[in-house]
Amino acid sequence: MSESNSEMLRRDPRQAWIARNRLHPRHLEVLAELGTGGGQEAASEWLGPNGLIRRNPRTVGFIGPHGVKRIDRSGVQQGRVVAGAQASPAACKPLVEIEAPAFLVAVVPDMAGGRLTSHDRDLLGLARQLADADPDSRGAVLAVVFGGHKENGVGDAGIDRVLHFDDEAFAGFSPEARLGALAAVEQAWTPRHWLLPDSPLGGADLGRRLAARLGERPATGVWQLEADAGSPLGWCCTARGAANSLDIRRPLPRLALILAECAEPVSETRHAARLLALPEALPPQLARLEDLGQVAVDPAGVALSEAEFILSAGNGVRDWEGFHHAAEVLRATEGASRVAVDDGHMARDRQVGATGTWVSARVYVAVGISGAIQHLQGIQRCDKVVAINMDPGCDMIKRADLAVIGDSARVLEALVALVEQSREEKRHAA
Amino acid sequence: MRPETQVAPSLAVTVLVSVGRHPLTGRGRQADQDARGVELARSIPQAEVSLLHAGPLGDASETALRGYLGMGFESLLLLEQPDGADVLPALAERLEAAAPQLVITGERAEQGEGSGLLPYLLAERLGWPLVSGLAAVEEVAEGVATLLLALPRGQRRRLRVRLPVIVTVNAAAPSPRQSAYGPARRGQLVLEEAQVVHDEELAKWQVQPARKRPKRLKIIKAASARDRFKAAAAKAEGGRGQVLTDVTPEQGAEAILRLLREEGVLRR
Amino acid sequence: MLETLLPILIFAALGLALLGAGRRIRLWRQGRPSPVPILKGLAAMPRRYLVDLHHVVARDKAMSNTHVATAGGFVAAAVLLILVHGLGLGSGLAGGVLGWALLVASATMFLGSLFVYRRRRNPPARLSKGVWMRLPKSLMAFSLGVFAITLLRVGLLPEGLLEGAGGWILALVLAAVVTWGLAEMVVGMTWGGPMKHAFAGALHLAFHRRPERFSTKAGGEGRSTGLKALDLDDPEAPLGVETPADFTWNQLLGFDACVQCGRCEAVCPAFAAGQPLNPKKLIQDMVVGMAGGSDAAYAGSPYPSQEPGGKPVGEHSLERYGSPHGPIVASLHEHDGKALVDAETLWSCTTCRACVEECPMMIEHVDAIVDMRRFLTLERGQTPNKAPEVLDNLIATDNPGGFDPGARMHWATDLELPLMADLQQVDVLLWLGDGAFDMRNQRTLRALVKVLRAARVDFAVLGNEERDSGDVARRLGDEATFQSLARRNIATLATYRFQQILTCDPHSFHVLGNEYGELGGVYEVRHHSTYIAELYEAGRLAFRPWKGGRVTWHDPCYLGRYNGEYEAPRQVLRALGIEVAEMERSGFRSRCCGGGGGAPITDIPGKRRIPDMRMNDVRETGAELVAVGCPQCTAMLEGVVDAGAEVRDIAELVAEALVEPSTSVATDAVGHDARSIRHLAEEVPL
Repeated sequence: MSESNSEMLRRDPRQAWIARNRLHPRHLEVLAELGTGGGQEAASEWLGPNGLIRRNPRTVGFIGPHGVKRIDRSGVQQGRVVAGAQASPAACKPLVEIEAPAFLVAVVPDMAGGRLTSHDRDLLGLARQLADADPDSRGAVLAVVFGGHKENGVGDAGIDRVLHFDDEAFAGFSPEARLGALAAVEQAWTPRHWLLPDSPLGGADLGRRLAARLGERPATGVWQLEADAGSPLGWCCTARGAANSLDIRRPLPRLALILAECAEPVSETRHAARLLALPEALPPQLARLEDLGQVAVDPAGVALSEAEFILSAGNGVRDWEGFHHAAEVLRATEGASRVAVDDGHMARDRQVGATGTWVSARVYVAVGISGAIQHLQGIQRCDKVVAINMDPGCDMIKRADLAVIGDSARVLEALVALVEQSREEKRHAA
Repeated sequence: MRPETQVAPSLAVTVLVSVGRHPLTGRGRQADQDARGVELARSIPQAEVSLLHAGPLGDASETALRGYLGMGFESLLLLEQPDGADVLPALAERLEAAAPQLVITGERAEQGEGSGLLPYLLAERLGWPLVSGLAAVEEVAEGVATLLLALPRGQRRRLRVRLPVIVTVNAAAPSPRQSAYGPARRGQLVLEEAQVVHDEELAKWQVQPARKRPKRLKIIKAASARDRFKAAAAKAEGGRGQVLTDVTPEQGAEAILRLLREEGVLRR
Repeated sequence: MLETLLPILIFAALGLALLGAGRRIRLWRQGRPSPVPILKGLAAMPRRYLVDLHHVVARDKAMSNTHVATAGGFVAAAVLLILVHGLGLGSGLAGGVLGWALLVASATMFLGSLFVYRRRRNPPARLSKGVWMRLPKSLMAFSLGVFAITLLRVGLLPEGLLEGAGGWILALVLAAVVTWGLAEMVVGMTWGGPMKHAFAGALHLAFHRRPERFSTKAGGEGRSTGLKALDLDDPEAPLGVETPADFTWNQLLGFDACVQCGRCEAVCPAFAAGQPLNPKKLIQDMVVGMAGGSDAAYAGSPYPSQEPGGKPVGEHSLERYGSPHGPIVASLHEHDGKALVDAETLWSCTTCRACVEECPMMIEHVDAIVDMRRFLTLERGQTPNKAPEVLDNLIATDNPGGFDPGARMHWATDLELPLMADLQQVDVLLWLGDGAFDMRNQRTLRALVKVLRAARVDFAVLGNEERDSGDVARRLGDEATFQSLARRNIATLATYRFQQILTCDPHSFHVLGNEYGELGGVYEVRHHSTYIAELYEAGRLAFRPWKGGRVTWHDPCYLGRYNGEYEAPRQVLRALGIEVAEMERSGFRSRCCGGGGGAPITDIPGKRRIPDMRMNDVRETGAELVAVGCPQCTAMLEGVVDAGAEVRDIAELVAEALVEPSTSVATDAVGHDARSIRHLAEEVPL
């Protein structure tokens, strides 16, 4: 501090003069020197010779989309300020440590690909609600994790304790071994709540196995939780039943299988995620299911109705080889308009539309499809539609969330190049 | 029949079938997953398939059960149970007695609680292994079955398991054959008495038609007013899409790639 | 010598023919029983032959004349031959007249046979070859032989010609020629040969399965096009046709009457599209099945196939083998190879009835095809491609698309259509059809509603109480679903009072009008083109003159051929000021759009698409717009890529041209002269 003070008192009248004179050829240069960041941009603030803050209003703000100058008082716009504030957002979240939990909420996340899925995070958010409901006797969230994981934000997701099984026996498909481990957890700590994601990634299966093993009648397809003093565990849940056509409201049982978006993920606190170990070693398991490994599946062979990413070709496609190549690189399932099928370019089971298959892809990319009514009816249930077409007036463009007008072959080619390039970069980075 | 069926030892397969419910009209029908289970059973060359259902017999359920008969069966064994009964004891008893090698069923029922727990409870009670989400039975030889498991996004995993086993199927299993009116009309529903255990817990629950789940709002925990404003003023969903004219193919491709990444459909 | 030989020959031939007839009748009687009024049928036969059959034959003038000469000459000659040469009535004055008459008859026949010969020199592709190629020669042999022996009998030739060795030889030659003629023309009639058509055809006319289709003396054009209902209450009653013997006996008789003229083949849209259907071959296969054996003797065009040359005939006699009690279509699960027809042949049919309309022998191809489809669907559960899904949807949601039945009226929320449930009684019940779920057809429906409102028609809709009419289910062979839908629709309709049902869907129009009757629902049904024509005639509509380009009209099969309505839509177009540029195939020869009979659902691949061919027909007229009157036709024709012409429903054209009279004018003018209202209407500012 003292050093900077002594510097401040030392004046350079010439510099101050240049800083005031906007027409001076070195004006910007001097301003930059005076600026605290010392970046390329002109400084908007500096300490004047008398210790007063001097401002240059001309360098504040940015030119908005309509050519009008906008000033953002939050300061976000100015890169160097942000850089300073961004020191470590994680560090500023309060760390919550629960030393002697009143009870345990056991969560078994899917950890697909070794990372918490968004479903897992929602589930942990819900677990936090259960654990923190009573500030006088707080519980701890125990995450039981199988297989090697690459997640480094475990504590940020709201986990107090982690039990990690990364034995060879738990890698890949191993529901029986995992069930054995969970049964050991039950024996060791008897958590008050067991929460698993009701997801096809494994949680649905494992949760039901656990229910059958523990003899607990679980709530499945739970999507809502409310405090309810009348229930044994103090909670009441709403679960989907009868193929999603019913809502069943019932007391929350010990074991619950939870749907995605049941709660907001934890975002404001950090947790200790302290490693835990089982008091005793697991007894050896008899594996009755022998895993012979994953089978390579051609995305082109995935049924259209199942596919979540469809690249669909229509009358406007000329370069069929390029189209098939793009589908392969993007790992998209191929679809087609009626015309493309009629012309023999695609098989009949690839036809999308009212007269073909009704699809419900998350992303549907229509290449050279003008969008006959029947076709548009068939893609009603798609979330996002991308159209690549020459004709800006066609109906598909009107439906599309994103439309690119241009030669479809060249756009696909560019897309393929981009994807391949980014994969290449990832490989080098890894 | 074909000669090889006489040579190969037969495989007793029981398919547990339930009464489905059409999602729009609520009419009774073959449950989709169970019908797929029947089709899966039919695809095993040496299988001798029998159908088993536990539940009440009424107009709607008879139509649905006859739907299974229409897939080419002469009879279906019906363990009569009143509405609201827990069918597990009746089914378990029957399976213990009949001792099939392979039990196939859909993942979840389309009526009632539909928790999908029944096969797990059966497996636990019978002490059999269970595989859920089957796509195909590849081979059954010398008491060992090679199964193809359906994973999300059309992926597959191969498993081997010693019989007897309970397997469940979902929408990834082969689609069921057409149910024909003639065999459905001719087929026999063989009624059998079975023990009845009422599901008392279920009766206490509040059940109502499913409400629409609220769409998750993007809660912006932004530090600045500007971010909060931006989030609040963001374009509502369902508006007209963005149209890129006069762009180079590269620019277009970039825009598409950004959307694909946002939606998370692009796999590494 | 000839005097003794000829009676023997003639009576031997007649005896053999009688024997053959017995055998042939036994073959037909393998079919299921079907009671017919025998004497009444026989009595009606000449009229059916001379009026109804001739009406069809006369479409080809030259062939008609040829047939009149040949067949007329033959019938006369045969009768006279028996009298003159068989019974020896050739002497005396009466005998002389008979002899001369026989000369004239056989000469006429000879003349006819010359034309038959000329046609057979370069026969069109649709004609069968094989044994049919010898027919002109046989005809000539018979007519010449009879002429020659009669010349002798009437004494026109010098006495003693037959004496001596030369005479003997001549007599033998003559006897041989006559024997040939008799063998082909008399014996062959019942033992199988080209002339079989005369015997079977005559009886087929007498015992036709659908006698209502023939005209009567009282006049009127007979028309019976509805399919026959299956008896579903009787668990023993067979569901459709599995083996040839499952057809009724008179259906088998009808197949046996086929002359293999190939007119059906020439008009069949599926055949033209290269789909594996040839109606003529199909009927011949049924004959092969009835008699047992392979199709090796068939000498016409085969079923088309993706490979050039069509599906092989005869070579695979083991694979294409039929027997009266063997399956017609091989089962998917039992490949013992003994079957006659591929399933895809049956599923290629669009049920457009072009073949039935053209068949001079009055054979009912479409009914036979649906009978066989019924077995495939109801017993085997082998309806191809998307059809099982469609049938499931019909069962679960009462519409083929699987839409929420409660959403049937969503398209019309802003129109506030009156509901039958509210009104209970109206003049016109507007039947919307499943087009209510289809965005394209909703435009047509809106247009129709606009027209009805302009004409102040008292109408209402069933709304969500309406179900699919059952047309698609029935054509796909699912009689059970059809009857279930039909009975529920009939029960709904029975709760309301209305004068007539109006629909813009010819399929619903046909099913409601012609097929519900058998199940107890009798209604007066109008197609919208007919109804609009009536409204216009009554002066309740006024149009501003047409300003667009050339327009052609596509006759929907279920409106035209099925129900004979060719005139009303043309009348409406004329009223709009449009001069219809007719396509070459229009009216009763109209080419199907490919949308009928569930064909778009079963979707059997061919080399071309039927709607593409139809849009080509449109292009040839130079029309810029093709007017249609059927949601299926609209969908099919609009689905053609790069079509030159726009596709519009007639209701849309009418709605656009509508000059809406102002309220006061219209109420005043109701009942006034049509011209005056039109005149007034034109003064209304547009």
